[in-house]
Amino acid sequence: MAEAGRPSAELRAAGLALAAGKAPFSETVQAGEIVGLSGLDGHGQERFLETLAGLHPPRSGEVVVSDGGAGARVEGFRQAVRHGIAYLPRDRRATGIFPALSILDNFAIATIGRDVRGGLISRRSRRERYQKFHRQLSIVAPNPRAPITALSGGNQQKVLLARWLAHDPRFLLLNDPTRGVDIATRQTLYGVFRELAREGVALVILSSEIEEIVTLCDRVLVFRENELFATLSGQALDSDRVIAAMFGKRQ
Amino acid sequence: MTAVTDSTARRPGIVWLMWRRTGFAPLLLLVLLVLNVVLNPVRFAPGNWGTLIGLAAPLIGAALASTPAILGGRGGIDVSVGPLMGFVNAIVVKVMITELGMSSPFVIVPAALLIGAAVGAVNGFLAAYVRIQPIVATLGTYLVLVGVTLTILPSPMGSVPAWLKLFSGSLSIVPLAAIFLIWWGIRRLPYYDHLMATGSDDRAAYTAGVDVPLVRFLSYVVTGVFAGIAGLMLTALIGSADGNIAPTYTLIAISAVALGGVSLAGGRGGLLGAAIGAICIFLIQSVLTLFNVSTFVLQIAYGAILVIAICLTAIQDRIEKRARQR
Amino acid sequence: MRVHLNSTGARVAGAILIAVLLFLAGSALIEGYSSAFSIRAMLVLACLLAVACVGQTLTIIIGGIDLSIPFVIGFANVVAAQLYGDGMNFVLVCAIVGVLALGIGALNGAISAGLNLHPLIVTLGIGTIVQGAVLVWTRGFPSGSAPEAVTKFVSIGGSVGPIPVPWLIPAFIALSVVIIVVLNRTPYGRRLFALGSNPRAAALALINPLRMWIVTFALSAFFAAVAGVLLLGFTGSAYGDVGQPYLFQTIAAVVIGGTALVGGRGSFLGTVAGAVVLTQINTLLIGLGLQPSLVQAALGLVIIVLVSLYGREAHVRATI
Repeated sequence: MAEAGRPSAELRAAGLALAAGKAPFSETVQAGEIVGLSGLDGHGQERFLETLAGLHPPRSGEVVVSDGGAGARVEGFRQAVRHGIAYLPRDRRATGIFPALSILDNFAIATIGRDVRGGLISRRSRRERYQKFHRQLSIVAPNPRAPITALSGGNQQKVLLARWLAHDPRFLLLNDPTRGVDIATRQTLYGVFRELAREGVALVILSSEIEEIVTLCDRVLVFRENELFATLSGQALDSDRVIAAMFGKRQ
Repeated sequence: MTAVTDSTARRPGIVWLMWRRTGFAPLLLLVLLVLNVVLNPVRFAPGNWGTLIGLAAPLIGAALASTPAILGGRGGIDVSVGPLMGFVNAIVVKVMITELGMSSPFVIVPAALLIGAAVGAVNGFLAAYVRIQPIVATLGTYLVLVGVTLTILPSPMGSVPAWLKLFSGSLSIVPLAAIFLIWWGIRRLPYYDHLMATGSDDRAAYTAGVDVPLVRFLSYVVTGVFAGIAGLMLTALIGSADGNIAPTYTLIAISAVALGGVSLAGGRGGLLGAAIGAICIFLIQSVLTLFNVSTFVLQIAYGAILVIAICLTAIQDRIEKRARQR
Repeated sequence: MRVHLNSTGARVAGAILIAVLLFLAGSALIEGYSSAFSIRAMLVLACLLAVACVGQTLTIIIGGIDLSIPFVIGFANVVAAQLYGDGMNFVLVCAIVGVLALGIGALNGAISAGLNLHPLIVTLGIGTIVQGAVLVWTRGFPSGSAPEAVTKFVSIGGSVGPIPVPWLIPAFIALSVVIIVVLNRTPYGRRLFALGSNPRAAALALINPLRMWIVTFALSAFFAAVAGVLLLGFTGSAYGDVGQPYLFQTIAAVVIGGTALVGGRGSFLGTVAGAVVLTQINTLLIGLGLQPSLVQAALGLVIIVLVSLYGREAHVRATI
């Protein structure tokens, strides 16, 4: 259900192998779809997500991003971002937040060019852009000029999500987005993800919470030993089957 | 490509291990050594080794002294090593030998070690417990030591007893051996593991129960003790008290340490690498003086070799990492 | 409250407060300390130091350090004098020196960031090469002098219209405003802080570390060169080691001004306050009749005391 004016976009992995000697696979993520990635820690799902984001060159095969027309091969992170891909990293503290900077700075840093008026950052433009996401994600932060470290983990995560939503991504790749996040915030985030999918964004969510991907996703890819082991969707998608697949049991 | 890297990984020869431990420096050392011996066989004849080592000793000592504090990580560094050597030199020659008439090795050696340990303890206290950034804390002690040294010793003076002179000649290897012996002892202690753990990831070390501030504090004390010994070596070499020579050792020593593959970020490298780095610098100076090159060119060469060597080490690291990932 | 006390703003305020207290102490203890001439002299010296500190502030915020500053100062000082002495147009001289300095700095940044090497050692190595090259070029005996205009620009006795300070002072104030605005209100400034605050997150937030390091270290060398040319005007003749005192003084001024050596926090206003503090301590101690060597020792003590008052780092416990 692509939004009017937006041709349907897709992110396609073609003949992708995650490690040497591993079976290649192909997979396509469509606009409006929520795809879950699962597997025991270190079994390739994270590698797959990062490969989609252009952070790793694929061992073989390619990742192609297309927004309706001709596709472009993903060759690096910055180029991937230019084609509408956004990636929310896993470890908030190590690779997400800038602890010394304010909430506003943390929000605006990846889209900072949009606030520039005559060479200088317009504080007003930045604040207005932030306000939109402040409401949409119901970020609990009394003062946006406070350092980001003053926020709870869940609200820090919302600010990081806002950083990428500000990019208007077509594809949102989320690496364990609810890790260390409280229940209330999780519900908010789920609502946001569903809303984004309705607007035609394609979401790929890696999660260590099986319940979460089962309820949230249209389709779940289970990885095992750096290979795509099973794809579950519709009636076949439930926790037991995901767990079984994680441990390598064929149904 | 894969097959090649795999086969080398399976057969880690001694050269490979040396390379990994100390980077590019051993190769450079070998080249420089051969060059020096071929060009100047007289100077490098076995009979002259004592004097030769004595000439290089203060620099090697300064590099060895700089290492423990750097290994501790999180910006750990002691820029006061050079001035501390000068301070030891001034106290020993001016105060102890000239003014107090004490010239027994059994007084002077412990005194030098004690001064070193005390200054090291001050540095360690400031860096590890007061938590001033190490480069700033030791810069403070740098200025204090230079100031005090020049105050008690406005101009070069004095002479040293015969036994101390031996340490720049036939016995020149002894103080260096002493440093390595102490370090060898430290490596047998759990402290060494704690130091390396702190240097590579202090948060993980802290969570694992390591007393991180204490470990860092002690690393500065060890640095101080080594600097005390290096101060004695300097005193033996110049045979007098001179407040202006020692401070120049600080930056060369840090260069030597980096050249020897000791990571300035901490947790990687060791005394052997630092010594190799220092010897390299000494040999560079030696070979260029031989060519009668002006000290100016010598400086360019020394800077260039330093930059090129650390670049090559970094590139080497990178290739190695890439090979491991495949 | 604790957060507040540790904030950069509080540290800057602390540095300014200390500068004021030092001035009051100096005025009380030393006759003539608050005389017009003495204030002018201190202002000029502090400005020269602060110009040299511009680059140190930027490189420390990005999470590095620049030890090549004294060498580049000496380089600019000698090369400018030599070229001008050879009869070259001074504007052209400045352009050549500026471009060369930018190149030196860019090399510092490119090697440090490109190969992930510690800038301390890279800048030291490059600085040594630069110094050696200058010595070879001048055969150790630099000659030449500064044009009249530069000498007047920094002269303690100079005046801007009716105001009895040299043009250096208003020019420096303008420069400071520009730097502060750049740091706070431009994409470059915000990216600089972000990169210093968390380099791993920066790459994922579309910040190009290599480019940032090259630009920042190039700027650092450029301002060191500016300081070198100004010092040429101040001392009147070329001297290759003129920058040496600035090696540690720039670091001390930046740290006293509340910029953290771990990167990501700091301000140029603080650095200016730090430069004023250092200049005053120097003047004060000499005014009290201390020998130069003891002045140095006391300076070391003061730096330790000041930084331990408000420049302390977090306990490792607090970083987990």
